Amino acid sequence: MKCLCIIVLFLCLRCEAAGNKPRRGRGSMWWGIAKAGEPNTLSPLSPGVLYMDPAVHATLRRKQRRLARENPGVLAAVAKGASMAVNECQHQFKHRRWNCSTRNFLRGKNLFGKIVDRGCRETAFIYAITSAGVTHAVSRACAEGSIESCTCDYSHVDRQPHRSRAAAAANVRVWKWGGCSDNIGFGFKFSREFVDTGERGKTLREKMNLHNNEAGRMQVQTEMRQECKCHGMSGSCTVKTCWMRLPSFRSVGDTLKDRFDGASRVMMSNTDLEAPLQRNDAAPQRVPRRDRYRFQLRPHNPDHKSPGVKDLVYLESSPGFCEKNPRLGIPGTHGRTCNDTSIGVDGCDLMCCGRGYRTETIFVVERCNCTFHWCCEVKCKLCRTEKVVHTCL
Amino acid sequence: MTGTVLENLSGRKLAVLISFLLLCQLVCFLIGGLVAPMPANAQNILGTVCKDTTKVKNDTTKWFYNRGKGKCESVDLAQSDLSETDIVFAFQMPTPRESETFDYSRWQQNLIGVLQMDIRYHSQMEIKPHSTLVIDARLAYRNKDDPDDGWKLYTQSVEKRVLDCDIEIKSEDYLYNCTAMPLFELGSLYHDYYLLNIRLPVDKPDMNTHIGHVQDMWVTVINQNGGFTKVWLSLKTIFFPGIVGILIWFWHRIHLLQRKPVLLEEMLLTLGIALCILDLPIEYLTLLFDLPFMLLLSDIRQGFFYASLFSFWVVFAGEHMLIQEVKTKNSLKKYWKHLSAVILGCVSLFIFDMCERGIQLRNPFYSIWVTELGTNLALSFIILAGISTGMYFMFLSFMIWQVFINISKKRQSLPAMCSVRRLHYEGIIYRFKFLMLATMICAAMTVIGFILGQVAEGQWKWNDNIELEYTSAFFTGVYGMWNIYIFALLVLYAPSHKRWPANETNADTQILSEEIEFNRLPIERSEISSLTSFINKATVD
Repeated sequence: MKCLCIIVLFLCLRCEAAGNKPRRGRGSMWWGIAKAGEPNTLSPLSPGVLYMDPAVHATLRRKQRRLARENPGVLAAVAKGASMAVNECQHQFKHRRWNCSTRNFLRGKNLFGKIVDRGCRETAFIYAITSAGVTHAVSRACAEGSIESCTCDYSHVDRQPHRSRAAAAANVRVWKWGGCSDNIGFGFKFSREFVDTGERGKTLREKMNLHNNEAGRMQVQTEMRQECKCHGMSGSCTVKTCWMRLPSFRSVGDTLKDRFDGASRVMMSNTDLEAPLQRNDAAPQRVPRRDRYRFQLRPHNPDHKSPGVKDLVYLESSPGFCEKNPRLGIPGTHGRTCNDTSIGVDGCDLMCCGRGYRTETIFVVERCNCTFHWCCEVKCKLCRTEKVVHTCL
Repeated sequence: MTGTVLENLSGRKLAVLISFLLLCQLVCFLIGGLVAPMPANAQNILGTVCKDTTKVKNDTTKWFYNRGKGKCESVDLAQSDLSETDIVFAFQMPTPRESETFDYSRWQQNLIGVLQMDIRYHSQMEIKPHSTLVIDARLAYRNKDDPDDGWKLYTQSVEKRVLDCDIEIKSEDYLYNCTAMPLFELGSLYHDYYLLNIRLPVDKPDMNTHIGHVQDMWVTVINQNGGFTKVWLSLKTIFFPGIVGILIWFWHRIHLLQRKPVLLEEMLLTLGIALCILDLPIEYLTLLFDLPFMLLLSDIRQGFFYASLFSFWVVFAGEHMLIQEVKTKNSLKKYWKHLSAVILGCVSLFIFDMCERGIQLRNPFYSIWVTELGTNLALSFIILAGISTGMYFMFLSFMIWQVFINISKKRQSLPAMCSVRRLHYEGIIYRFKFLMLATMICAAMTVIGFILGQVAEGQWKWNDNIELEYTSAFFTGVYGMWNIYIFALLVLYAPSHKRWPANETNADTQILSEEIEFNRLPIERSEISSLTSFINKATVD
């Protein structure tokens, strides 16, 4: 019985994979924004008018374009968030076989390459870190005041953007009466709207993406630190006001990397699996927005416990990253530098997958003996240093 | 004229009065919890890094801001090759929301700024512990009618702050954990928009050299919520005439007597006046005028109120000590030990307050905590205040304990008395204890409420629909409670006008025994309470 079940499931997955081939990663094209031009070209030249690079325009879905239009300044924040995420990913994975390399950004191609077509751990991390990056950057931009449409409400209820004058007056009243909420509320909501656009949550892969996106956002939210200030009588703590501070993105990246290491492999739970099949008979209806996030993934190994909100999930095991695989867009570890003394993944044995490595001594010219001030490094010397570099064959 | 209203009030009337007051108390609590927003709102503002290309850096007519016409050229600190003198961190407050440009309302009362730095670890430039940060801070204001670049200087100062940072993982690109530094306190929020420009000067070779690699600067501004001010002021507006009225009635009552007011009555009057001053809603004036001293004034008003409340308790307990030298009017001299503790505490707090908030009137960026001397001075004043508070409470609890010992002693002689008189005395002791209990409950409620407020989050949920704003409810509840408490004291401790023969014709259905007991009482003019007369009699016996 169980065997039959798994076969059915397998068939199901196969057919889904086949059916969705052209639309794979449909919600993830916006990643390209990280490489599309300087952020400065994205900022509004004058309020309300947004100059959009055609290259940027091409990466966005219709809804994402609408969101960018409705929230001036947000595109620059998203771009910053995406590039922050790419940098963080490359930092976290710089010593691994898969080093989060990005491809030249071309129309219709994914920034991270074809690896995202597979529902593996690496893909899970990419989704989580990019979604976290957007949440972080948008919240930050709200704090800076460079997005003017950040919400003020304390109730985290989805509200349609008001444009009428009465609503505007009401907003000002709300602010003068009870102040405004933290910026993370808007960052979280906006990231859901923007990042999760293409993921309807119908197929297992879409559910995986949704889950990982949400995990990234949750990570930013839960890592916020509370700071307080006492300002009662004579500065005593009879009155204390607290606020939440955004975490540094590096610490979000660190935690997500830990989650990557402990990611759980999932499959659809039985009840959820049947639901879309039944729905296929009826008219194709949209999954309600809220319900999109209400699903429970079942661990692949029934002995494991089901993944929590902040856990990363994946569907299939990772491909080997040793050899070049054009079908999956894997460049292989040929030519990667490695550390011959390390026994970890950055060690030459593991990194080069046993192919051996070449050792050479090169001279590098780099900035050294810099004197730093609080903002910028000022005077540096150029030093010629000798370096021993090991590269995989 | 036999005593206070408290003793002559029938049980039922007392119950009605108390339940009415409790109802008022509940209303106060619920107004705070359901109507008012939380007391203060914090807004996190990330500094925009502006490039200052001017040659002269001390020109206070040149302002850098990141929104509106004439905004500054913003740069990325990580990628720039600027000199540190060309960098200005601009904080424009309040930040826009919902596509609106929000402005401060005068109902928001005050503005407190806290500075936080994001400092990146750099192996060549580690932060030394307790290094000094020098900031050149300039605050400007603008009003709604002014043009976008019409910023005017509000205040300017070069300040030092102690940078307290630590780091767990010492690796490049990780951030230090730095504690927040107090930046400024504005006692009045008179203008619509404020702009803060911060520079980190490097005029001297050792200035700002050990502060690491600054990546971001955050300023959190805290302002009182307009809604809270409105609710608070409405409470004050309601309480003030009530307290003034009852105070006039009380004093009138005393003047009707043929004797001079006794100490307890004078203390009650002082307490009433202190409460009147606390209740006086002068915050309305801030809506019209720029009054930066409001923070200091409210501290002083509160301090005066607490001082008179504490003094009253001592006198209240002392006057019911039951061992009294008759004939001489008690004076405050008898309580010099206790009162000096109160006064010492208040004076040291006052000096501390003048040193901090008083100087902030001149320079909002001033903080007493940045210099070694200032910290020691402030700490010593606070410790002094703490010690005197502790002393005071020791004295007070000793006194109250003595009172209860005395009462229980006298109680033992009660069975020897005739039943009517005994009932009467028991009633008085009961009511005295009742009032002591009320005081204890009020004090305990305040303390418990405060602790709960520290432990719990700002909001409590009863169910999905009702959200209780606990912090506000605590403030209005406690404020209302002490008002009601003093109101009750003034009512119950006013001299009674009841004359016993008239009592018989009273339409009120009173318990017979209660009516009789009063007839038997010896009338003593010099005492305010027949409790003390009972004591005197007992000692004579």
